[in-house]
Amino acid sequence: MRDDGGFIRVEGLTVSYDGEHLALGGIDMSVGEGDFVAVLGPSGCGKSTLLQVLSGLVRPVSGRTTIAGTDVTNESVSNRPRVGYVFQDHRLLPWRTVGQNLELVLASAGLPKDEWGARVERFLDMLQIGQHRDAWPMRLSGGQRQRVSIARALAIDPAVILMDEPFSTLDEVTGRRMRQQLVELWQQQQRAIVFVTHSIREAVYLADRIVILTRGPATVLETLEVGTPRPRQYEDPRLTELESEIVARVMEVWGYEDGGAATPESDSPMELA
Amino acid sequence: METASLPLSGPGWRRRAAAAFSSDAFFGALGVLSFIALWYVGSRRTEFVPPIDEVIDAIPSFLTEEAIWPDIGASLARVVGALAVASVVGFGAAYLMARGRFWGLVTLRYVDLTIGLPSTIAALLALFIFKRSEVGVFVVVAIATFPFIALTLRQGFLAADRQLGDMASVYRFGVARELRNVSIPHLVPYSLAAIRNEYAHAWRVVVLAELFAVNSGIGWRFSQAFDRFLLVEVALWLLTFMVVLLGTEYMVLRPIERWALRWRGGHT
Repeated sequence: MRDDGGFIRVEGLTVSYDGEHLALGGIDMSVGEGDFVAVLGPSGCGKSTLLQVLSGLVRPVSGRTTIAGTDVTNESVSNRPRVGYVFQDHRLLPWRTVGQNLELVLASAGLPKDEWGARVERFLDMLQIGQHRDAWPMRLSGGQRQRVSIARALAIDPAVILMDEPFSTLDEVTGRRMRQQLVELWQQQQRAIVFVTHSIREAVYLADRIVILTRGPATVLETLEVGTPRPRQYEDPRLTELESEIVARVMEVWGYEDGGAATPESDSPMELA
Repeated sequence: METASLPLSGPGWRRRAAAAFSSDAFFGALGVLSFIALWYVGSRRTEFVPPIDEVIDAIPSFLTEEAIWPDIGASLARVVGALAVASVVGFGAAYLMARGRFWGLVTLRYVDLTIGLPSTIAALLALFIFKRSEVGVFVVVAIATFPFIALTLRQGFLAADRQLGDMASVYRFGVARELRNVSIPHLVPYSLAAIRNEYAHAWRVVVLAELFAVNSGIGWRFSQAFDRFLLVEVALWLLTFMVVLLGTEYMVLRPIERWALRWRGGHT
């Protein structure tokens, strides 16, 4: 594993929802401060569970997870570093306006009230949705809602931003534009981003490093550095080449969802010891 | 680019409210006209339905009679008060039922029992238990309406969006902020639906209970007029009942509902 200072450290992480079967089978990974890391894995392997542990939503069975040196599984919520979370669906409160959705997280983060207005304006403008500040979320398009969700994650000055397949429900054109915008934002903000996806092309386009997981219960299959310089083009032949390499490597391990070639441990859930 | 400008929140709900009002007004007018036609036919064919013109002639003196307003106010206060009690009890019952544990199952049995209890029987039982008292009216109305409110709110509790709860946890809303911004707003549509559905029911039960249990209110005045065979006065109280019931529903409840749910309008 590359020595990245370990801003986020995950060691021997196992998770079980029912106490019998593992959802994560032992994850070790590390993310440096300001790194953009993609977590790549097949559908249902436990990628989202990994983010839920990092955000404190799910307690692991074993292992240790630290963000900026704070153990997020054992430390009280108020002592944990702030985490911005962009969900697969926007998860905006439909009965609050766009601006109010942002103000709520600012209030919850304990930021002074006299800063809220400027922050809301700044981050909505940054995501090019400032004109929708007073709109109800249900009146926005999918892409606009996801931008609000990203603005919400950024507005609280998070130590880390967790993104769970945030563009998977968007159309191709909107998705590409959002990815490009995300890279620009990340370069401005320099926050650590852990971006979960099952799209290899998305991972190679966005990330500095890709953590490839096995089928569930997931373990780390391999960690790859993406050496392609930025700015990157989505159709860059070097990314296509890297994508092909990854496909070749994971083909045998991921297999097919309908029961094709899969590793023995992925055929049935791993029993908890 | 997908960010085509869409209308903001401001005037949209007002436009929709105006459209809904026009639609309500049209169908309301249709209902009134058909009612008048039936009334006309009834008054020509039987002697138990007073002629329309006699009733219309009596309206000015009826409205200027000071004694009617306390009775209308008394009925209205009973409906609102009893619905408030039923809502509080229904909320608690819905919460217990949604949790599904022992007390939830016990509550469900009570809800099943009361939902099948005819309002007339409930009114007579209240008369036996509370004699002729104000408490009896409240109890009857609360018993008649609470199970429906409880069942509607239970659906709300069961449909609670866990994903929004996760979002609230990640962003550290805390219990009070989550309650105020996630849980309660989620229940608002269910509460409004329950109250609007039960409002008319509560009116019917209040009037029924007033026939038996108290010496005030629209129901009591209705029975007084009926006992003395004052058919024009019976018709006037019947009209008063309808005007107050429909007036408060269309002029108060529906606008409140439209305003409270204005965030729902318009999908892309």
